[in-house]
Amino acid sequence: MNAILLSLAFMAIGLTVGFLAQRSRMCLVAGLRDWILVRDTELLMGLLSFLATVWVLSSVLGALGLMHRGIPEYLAGADHALSATTVAPKPAATVPRLNLDSLPSPSALLSNLFLTTLGGGFLIGVLSVMVGGCVMRQHVLCAQGDRDALCYLVGFYAAVPVYYTLLERFFGWVYR
Amino acid sequence: MKERRLKPWVFGIAAGSIFVLAEAFLNIYPPSAYAFCLSCHVRDLLNHLANTVTGSRLLTTEVGGRAFLLTSPGVIIGALVAARMYGESKTRKASKPLLFALTGFVIMVIGIVIFGCPTRLALRAGYGDVYGIAGLVGLLAGVAVTTVAMRLWSLRGGR
Repeated sequence: MNAILLSLAFMAIGLTVGFLAQRSRMCLVAGLRDWILVRDTELLMGLLSFLATVWVLSSVLGALGLMHRGIPEYLAGADHALSATTVAPKPAATVPRLNLDSLPSPSALLSNLFLTTLGGGFLIGVLSVMVGGCVMRQHVLCAQGDRDALCYLVGFYAAVPVYYTLLERFFGWVYR
Repeated sequence: MKERRLKPWVFGIAAGSIFVLAEAFLNIYPPSAYAFCLSCHVRDLLNHLANTVTGSRLLTTEVGGRAFLLTSPGVIIGALVAARMYGESKTRKASKPLLFALTGFVIMVIGIVIFGCPTRLALRAGYGDVYGIAGLVGLLAGVAVTTVAMRLWSLRGGR
């Protein structure tokens, strides 16, 4: 029962965000693109207000003890009980957090995952500009009837089984 | 038409509040900053579905093993409702289907490897996650470089 409610909660989050994103034409990569091309700051303000809201709210809720901060991306072995369907990958990447008490060590900043995240983000940026929108924008365009975006989503969904059957073995070095 | 539109900064505040409050009050963890992600949630949805149906043990996050993360279908349905409501849905033929499919494929693979679609990279950056900030900086750098390159390309008479 709890699982159904949680699934519905994710559905509700998706519905709300999809609705608002369609109304505002929000896109995370178009903001900077528009600013560079025509000095239009409207979409860029969307990104900045998003970042500011998340930063302030997560800090406030964190200070109130409501957030579970510093949880690694994947369960790191012995610290947590693994649920039946969860399989931990190789030694999990613990994600260092930026706070003034403990700055991440230089070795964490030069880890494979850090550099891959930097480079992967760069590649996502390049490709997103080429197809004219971030992943969320492609979902919205698909819903508006753009067949190109539909093809994008087909590739997007198809990548999951392909990754876990064929490609996963090539990316083990990232998490070492 | 123009004035009925929602300002993007309103979207930023609304979406940011939803994501943080949902995580805090619906116990969406681990991992943290996981209330919204299109790559990771699609990954968890499909893998959890495969695990439930075939009994395989594909990777999901802890939250993804607890529920079906219907965020991505939700976004599509929500946008569909909005587009229908305001008469903005019109079919546009695919111009480069293969290029778009391939791009979606590559972006999903990168998203799985670095744990995030652009939205979640921004979300993680807002949380103060160092890797999230790195991802967002990389993303914006990629956008800037590509935009400038395309601008120069079109100024020199390409396309």
